[in-house]
Amino acid sequence: MSRQLIFILIALSVAIPLVIKLGLPNEVTSEVMAVYEEIDQLDSGSVVLVSFDHEASSLPEIKPMAQAVLRHCFNRKLKVVGLALLAEGTAIGEQILRQTADEYGVDYGEDYVFLGFRPQYQAAILGMGEDIKRVFPEDYKNIPLTQIPIMRKIRNYENISLVISVADGDMPVWWVDYAVSRYHMKLAVATTAVMATSFYPFLSAGQMKGLLGGLKGAAEYEMLIKKPGMGQRGMDAQSVCHLMIILLVIAGNVGYYLKK
Amino acid sequence: MHTGTLIAAFLTLCIFSFLYKDNPFYKFAEHLLVGVSVGYVLVIALNTTLMPKLLNPVFKEGRFDYIIPGILGLFMLLRFFPKYAWLSRISIALIIGAGAGVAIPATLQAKIFAQMQATMINFASVDGIIVFAGIATTLAYFFFSKEHKGWFGTSARVGTWFLMIFFGATFGYTVMSRISLLIGRMQFLLGDFLHVIK
Repeated sequence: MSRQLIFILIALSVAIPLVIKLGLPNEVTSEVMAVYEEIDQLDSGSVVLVSFDHEASSLPEIKPMAQAVLRHCFNRKLKVVGLALLAEGTAIGEQILRQTADEYGVDYGEDYVFLGFRPQYQAAILGMGEDIKRVFPEDYKNIPLTQIPIMRKIRNYENISLVISVADGDMPVWWVDYAVSRYHMKLAVATTAVMATSFYPFLSAGQMKGLLGGLKGAAEYEMLIKKPGMGQRGMDAQSVCHLMIILLVIAGNVGYYLKK
Repeated sequence: MHTGTLIAAFLTLCIFSFLYKDNPFYKFAEHLLVGVSVGYVLVIALNTTLMPKLLNPVFKEGRFDYIIPGILGLFMLLRFFPKYAWLSRISIALIIGAGAGVAIPATLQAKIFAQMQATMINFASVDGIIVFAGIATTLAYFFFSKEHKGWFGTSARVGTWFLMIFFGATFGYTVMSRISLLIGRMQFLLGDFLHVIK
């Protein structure tokens, strides 16, 4: 079988379920439920820090997860402080935060703020434990934090109820190392599927409160907040494509033994 | 149709064209991606680091003590000049020293003590026993001072099963992750570009 034929079969197995809705069942896992419950139990007005620790290449997985979590936060009337610890996550994070905030009609500066990017993530995570304004004297729009209403009541991690790291690499581990271990912060993680298995030891040790793993995590979260989005739509394609891969692996093995 | 959508669709198709074979369209899109990424990161670094952390404090606020870290930063660039490359070692030594000082206690606490504690607490449950068996047998596999024979060999072999399960799960997640990227592009092409998805 030529590789071009395999690519065509994979493309069709993704495209057809996207065009024709199949509505395949999807169960909510305990780690996703844990993130939902952690956010749901927060009092209205509590502050959630969302860190966009990812690059542009992982957008198809990152965006549905970030959107679902932010929708839940804004729906619960929580205050959101956004920031980025990887440069490429800066503009993407700002865009996702702004678009989701617009859906709920919440105000910049009052209900949410985006602080922008800081390099040297160890120093940034540790520094915010002392004083966020020292790490981010100004927000993404170059407005001094002292002039932003939401930031007047927030000094450091003591004023933040939950940190959510939206990541495509091992940045959540740095959050565990510095924010969780040293400042006893609660941490939830939304990560690409490829990284998910690396974080299960931290999840079972209680160092992470919950975990969203890739498109499936996003789809589960969309089910919980009852707002279907890119995640749920993509999961049909994901399932059919996985089936196609399994069939191709079986066909490849059968072909190999027949040739032998 | 929005111009940005057209450009994005064209570049997506350029990249996908590699699946047939390498071609100038793919090369163009690849080089454009590298150039744009580097340019973007440079601008972000300039706006969020160099300006607020060095140039503004020195030139606008008169904080001349910031010149010292600035000079240390410049030393790093001297690695490109063999005659003065030795000066970069001062900056590197500072980074390694401070970095290790900050990282070692945090890593010990987060990755050794907390993980061991979690394993001990869960030892009373079935999950805990499985975790303990996984740790003990996997460590046995990586213990090379005793020949893998007899009961020790058996436990090392069980350790490899745990490792294979981990690799299988990780590979499964990796496939899922890569397919998600394809789904994202397909959603864009069929939705935003062709409007086939309702």
